[in-house]
Amino acid sequence: MAEKVIAGEKRVFMTGNEVVAWAALAAGAEIMYGYPITPQNEIMHYWTRLAPKYNRKFLQTEDELSAGFTTVGGVMAGKRAFTATAGPGNTLMQEPISMAEAMRLPFVAMIIQRGGPSTGTVIYSQQEVMMTVLGGNGEGLRIVYSTANHQELFDYSIKAFDTAWKYRFPTFVLADGYQGKMREPLTIYDPDDRGIKISDTEPYVGRPGTPGVDRPPGHYRNTYNVEEELYEVLQDHIKDFESIADEVSEYESMASDDAELLVVAHGVVARAAKQATEALRQQGLKVGYFRPITLRPLPSTPLREAVNRAGRMLVVESAYGQLGRLLKEALYGATAEFIPYYKPGVGFTPEEIMARCRELIT
Amino acid sequence: MSKPVKIVIAGEGGQGVQAVAEILAEAGYEEGREALYIPNFGVEQRGGVSVAFLQIGDEPIGSPKFAKADIVVALSERAVGRTFQYVGPETVFVYDTLAAPDEKDMPPEVKQVLPIPGVETAKKELHPRVFNVLIMGAVIKATGVVNLENAKKALEKRLGHKFAQNPKLRDLNHRALERGMELVGEVMQGG
Repeated sequence: MAEKVIAGEKRVFMTGNEVVAWAALAAGAEIMYGYPITPQNEIMHYWTRLAPKYNRKFLQTEDELSAGFTTVGGVMAGKRAFTATAGPGNTLMQEPISMAEAMRLPFVAMIIQRGGPSTGTVIYSQQEVMMTVLGGNGEGLRIVYSTANHQELFDYSIKAFDTAWKYRFPTFVLADGYQGKMREPLTIYDPDDRGIKISDTEPYVGRPGTPGVDRPPGHYRNTYNVEEELYEVLQDHIKDFESIADEVSEYESMASDDAELLVVAHGVVARAAKQATEALRQQGLKVGYFRPITLRPLPSTPLREAVNRAGRMLVVESAYGQLGRLLKEALYGATAEFIPYYKPGVGFTPEEIMARCRELIT
Repeated sequence: MSKPVKIVIAGEGGQGVQAVAEILAEAGYEEGREALYIPNFGVEQRGGVSVAFLQIGDEPIGSPKFAKADIVVALSERAVGRTFQYVGPETVFVYDTLAAPDEKDMPPEVKQVLPIPGVETAKKELHPRVFNVLIMGAVIKATGVVNLENAKKALEKRLGHKFAQNPKLRDLNHRALERGMELVGEVMQGG
């Protein structure tokens, strides 16, 4: 076991990228593979500064394809490994992520979204939702946490390592350039001190004993000769994924019981949505707030209940309907009015959301 | 519920606006208050207007960006234009007299306008390098977001290693901080 990185509870003031590096250390991550890209560079920078002090490792690869595949290799060797990327780096990484998905590998990646398509901006967006949730040539058998503040960035970065190794699906922490670059206070801690257990790791390859005699053979495939063979394997994977959905999915909601308009947002935008909801409630307007924390799997049942109660929903996101598409799928058949408020690549202020809600409700 | 004080500081790259915002955020945090600081950043390595967004309050801060600021500090002519969008009827607008915009270029609706001779004062009385610390003093005076003692502590945390090598620098920085407060104090009374 790794030595303690953080002694006691510690109040700190740092950037989100720094938070991720500390969380990975605290979670006992043994190695990071990565390639620099804004706005996640500082995850690597802090990791490379901190890792040697705690006997952890780092490998800089030649690109994100390679960073993804080396993470796959690290995981197969039984290491608590992770990577971090953004934008076009996330695009390149979809191939190794698909492989991790095919082989049920506990691949962990922190995605710090920037604007797209292509190089786009290096600043901010929520445009990597579809890619992170459903990218690559597969079925999107992945778990995606969308964080809204630095405390969550720390908590869920730790949790991602547990989730990935517990369920053996690629697991992501989806943040954005604002979260990566801004500074705000949070409490960092050693997960063990709070009784948070992180699933043990084990090697996939090179295990002792004779396969088929001393232990079941390891069968980690991403290549199949016949259609039916692939189909059969995927049936099990899909069944497993669906069976954990209720257990894994998380959400946050506020004032949704008697709401006549439900504001739905995720990630950093949810901060503005929540502020707007609080302010409108104080003014006596029946507005509610719902935020999926897991974008995959979505918290479908509570979402459906909240939306049906309200009858109208305002979907706010810094993308052109990426969360929107996921919600529509989860809500298929519901009769609530779906009102989009999309600003691809641009942030939201609480004032804008308040103004839109007022237009709709009065 | 008390609202956080929202601050925008903008200047040319190299004027040190990000450092000022960061030190102020740090000072607010050290006071036990809630603070959120975010720089603007783009693909440029240098050149262009640098803008810092800062919020300090007593409750956890919401959205990192905001529509209108309580105080906007513009330190160059280009920064004046760049920050108009954050100026509203409740905003105190501080600009450096060297960046003096034409009357027609001034924000139409503003609570108060405070022109201060920051660049000139730093150059003549102190040292051009402490210009941003002088601006930090100006922001403190105009907003009261942190007290002078905590501002000095935050400076110490950031520049302590340099002060140790050359104690005169500490004095220079403290004077810049106090001078910035005085400059704003003078125009606030005059206005």
